[in-house]
Amino acid sequence: MERVSPHQFMTLGAGVLMGGTFLLLASGVTIASGRDGWMTVLPGFTVGIPYALMVFSLLEQYPRKNLLQISEILFGKWIGKIIGLVYILTTGYYGGLLLALLGDIFERSIMPLTPLWVFYLGGLVLAIYLAGSGIEVFARFSEVVFPVVVIALILSVALAIPRIEQGELLPILDEGLKPLFRGVLKVMPFAMEYILFLAGISTFLPTGKQELGQLRTEVWRAIFLVGILNMLVVLIQILVFGPEETIRLANGILVLGKMVEVSRTVSGVESLFMGVWLGAMVIKMSAFLFMVSWGIETVFSLKGLKWNFVVGVVFLGIALGFTRGPYMLRELSVTESYLMFPFASLWIPLLWGVARWKKGAGV
Amino acid sequence: MRSWLKMLKELTVRPKVKRIRKSPSYSFDEELNKPLSGQTVREILAKSSDIVFRDFFLQGKERIPCLLAAIDGMVDKNQLDQYILKPLLVDLAGHPEMAQLTIANVLDKTIQSILPGLELKKISKMEEAINAILSGDAVIFFGESKEALVFGARGWANRGVAEPITESIVKGPREGFSETLRINTSLLRRKIKHPSLRMISLKLGGMTNTDVIVTYIENVAHPDIVSEVFRRLGTIKMDAMLGNGYIEEMIEDNPYSPFPQIAFTERPDVLAGKILEGKVGIIVDGTPIVLSVPATLTQFLNVNEDYYQRAMVAILSRSIRYLGAFIALLAPSIYIAVTTFHQEIIPTDLLISISASRQGVPLTALQEALAMLITLEILQEAGLRLPKPIGSTIGIVGALVIGDAAVKAGLISPLMVIIVGLTAIASYAIPTFDLGLAVRLIRFPFMILAGILGFFGISVGLYTLLIHLLTLRSFGVPYLSPIAPLRLRALLQDTIVRAPWWALKRRPQLIDVEEPQAGRKGKG
Repeated sequence: MERVSPHQFMTLGAGVLMGGTFLLLASGVTIASGRDGWMTVLPGFTVGIPYALMVFSLLEQYPRKNLLQISEILFGKWIGKIIGLVYILTTGYYGGLLLALLGDIFERSIMPLTPLWVFYLGGLVLAIYLAGSGIEVFARFSEVVFPVVVIALILSVALAIPRIEQGELLPILDEGLKPLFRGVLKVMPFAMEYILFLAGISTFLPTGKQELGQLRTEVWRAIFLVGILNMLVVLIQILVFGPEETIRLANGILVLGKMVEVSRTVSGVESLFMGVWLGAMVIKMSAFLFMVSWGIETVFSLKGLKWNFVVGVVFLGIALGFTRGPYMLRELSVTESYLMFPFASLWIPLLWGVARWKKGAGV
Repeated sequence: MRSWLKMLKELTVRPKVKRIRKSPSYSFDEELNKPLSGQTVREILAKSSDIVFRDFFLQGKERIPCLLAAIDGMVDKNQLDQYILKPLLVDLAGHPEMAQLTIANVLDKTIQSILPGLELKKISKMEEAINAILSGDAVIFFGESKEALVFGARGWANRGVAEPITESIVKGPREGFSETLRINTSLLRRKIKHPSLRMISLKLGGMTNTDVIVTYIENVAHPDIVSEVFRRLGTIKMDAMLGNGYIEEMIEDNPYSPFPQIAFTERPDVLAGKILEGKVGIIVDGTPIVLSVPATLTQFLNVNEDYYQRAMVAILSRSIRYLGAFIALLAPSIYIAVTTFHQEIIPTDLLISISASRQGVPLTALQEALAMLITLEILQEAGLRLPKPIGSTIGIVGALVIGDAAVKAGLISPLMVIIVGLTAIASYAIPTFDLGLAVRLIRFPFMILAGILGFFGISVGLYTLLIHLLTLRSFGVPYLSPIAPLRLRALLQDTIVRAPWWALKRRPQLIDVEEPQAGRKGKG
């Protein structure tokens, strides 16, 4: 049985939580909260903490089981299977959209003449290879790639500092606190994606009392690390481009890369950064591939590499079937906000509540 | 068609451990099971002209016919004369001890009070007698006795202890292993004078009967790894065992990976260092190359001189080696990607200069690079096995004459010559030959990916390579350890960084911790 250590759990969780959020967040939160959008990022992510604690509480009660298996135990076989089906469909659809996003970003930013399916195929090959190699290899992959993503993000932010326009951030809170809540709502679905991942990976986590304590600490670390990094990314974009341009650019972090010039020898390092962003997106996409596989295994008792291929083909179908650009981004946003967010935010507390009640009642 | 597929499968798919090649069965086996006697040994071995048989008699209480068997050239004849024949036939003739000898007590008496040799052993099986003779010992058979006496008098020509050719260093010991097993074990024993050092003998190769020694330090080497080494060695069933390469391919974890998964060395100090870290050494008779397991990727970029230099110098050398490996792997691909797809990364002045240098070159950057690197590979291969003076001529002809002519003919841009030259030099910075070969091999797919898909292709290639490395294990130890799974102490102690000796208070954390570590923060 494969196992993930607490440190790997931190980097893996942070990698999944981060994914491609830094590419999309700035535009979204600035639409919702204007120039104060950066303030909403960290609170939006921290919403995931209580949900993660609920998952660990369930894990303590039902060791070595994922939340889909626990649902079948607590809600009965058929309701459990229906929840599993929703889990598979939601994560499968979103995984396909992530693949579409990957291709779209590469095509629009650095390789406009290359056919889209090439990017889809590249991303999919990596995700299937990772899924086929198992959760341990996936955890180690994030252990290597996530620090590189962090360094690249910090570099992106640092190299853009000379271009900061003083005063873009002012006046602070000129529209009051209300827009901030709208911004937080925009960020919360990302935290819920992470929680859905936790729901599946729990089978592979250690269950000792001390280790669970470590896992809880690692969740705090992962969420704060990703929250702070994303906040910096949003902040630098608002400071460099201003709120209007940040909304218009959609993927402002890529434009920041384009603007870099170091001593007249290296300029426009966007294509170098894209290599790193590919790693970040592969982590997220593979996580969704894993989620669908865990769902299929739990609900239909089907497992093996061939099912990873089947899921990969479904991802490819969804990616190829989608119109690119703003429509695809809107579909991503709709899926996050109206499918995954409500599903996770209802399912986990309900499951936790029933588990507590049954434990209390001694059922 | 089916037979073709079967042949293809046999050539590409390594059989599962339990089925590794059929054990050879010889009619010879039947003779080995016969009762021990000098006459049978003579019948089995007499057809070979290098086997020497010496008949003589001992006059004790009764007249005992004796037969001494040994291989000419493998046994030390002086020792035989001085410590066996002379005492038995001349010095002790008529001695009271000799007068008591009978067939029943001759063996014990000879060992206890007659012969002066250090290595005297009683044997009772035919197989033991044959093996002893074929390994260079002398065996004495006494009349019809069912037991015989082995006298350890091996002595053959060897090249002695010389400086290793493949691992030369500036500051450190100069001695290297040789082809003789006992010399190699003694060299190791001289480095580790501790009773915990174990040297367990095995014989591999159905026909060659090659002596193999598995060496490790009890309580330092992980018992699971030691038993895994014995298990894997035990599965080897083949006629020939002529060198370390045979064992390497039979026991490595992933035979399809281009990356070496078993480390090798010609230096006793390197082997001693590895054994002290908890690894297991495999010494094969007849080769100066000694294997050690488990091996991780970062160790292939370290050299023993790092430990003889000051820490700061070692860190600098290691960093250069890592940079060299990176350049050797990716320099041509990056050049191809930048000139073909991502010109925006180059500032205008530099771009104009590059563009001018490529003016009139009929080949694409990918074709240029492939042509140059294939030529380089041919030159390397040609120069490798030639005598030294001719080898260097090949290098000069290749580098100067062909390169210069290609540029002058307008076939290749001067910048590409610089890139290929840099790549070639950088690949020599990789200290391990096997890892250098792996880098040379995977450089080509990277170039093709870069030529087709630019940085996206390189990124996909790099991530695929990373996943491949992450899936690799060497005797259960993750190949990318201590980077992934992260072992922070090992990473800071002896990976890219080589901590000063006074800071190396604990053993490297490469193989002593099972993954996942349940300890604090998962890092041990």
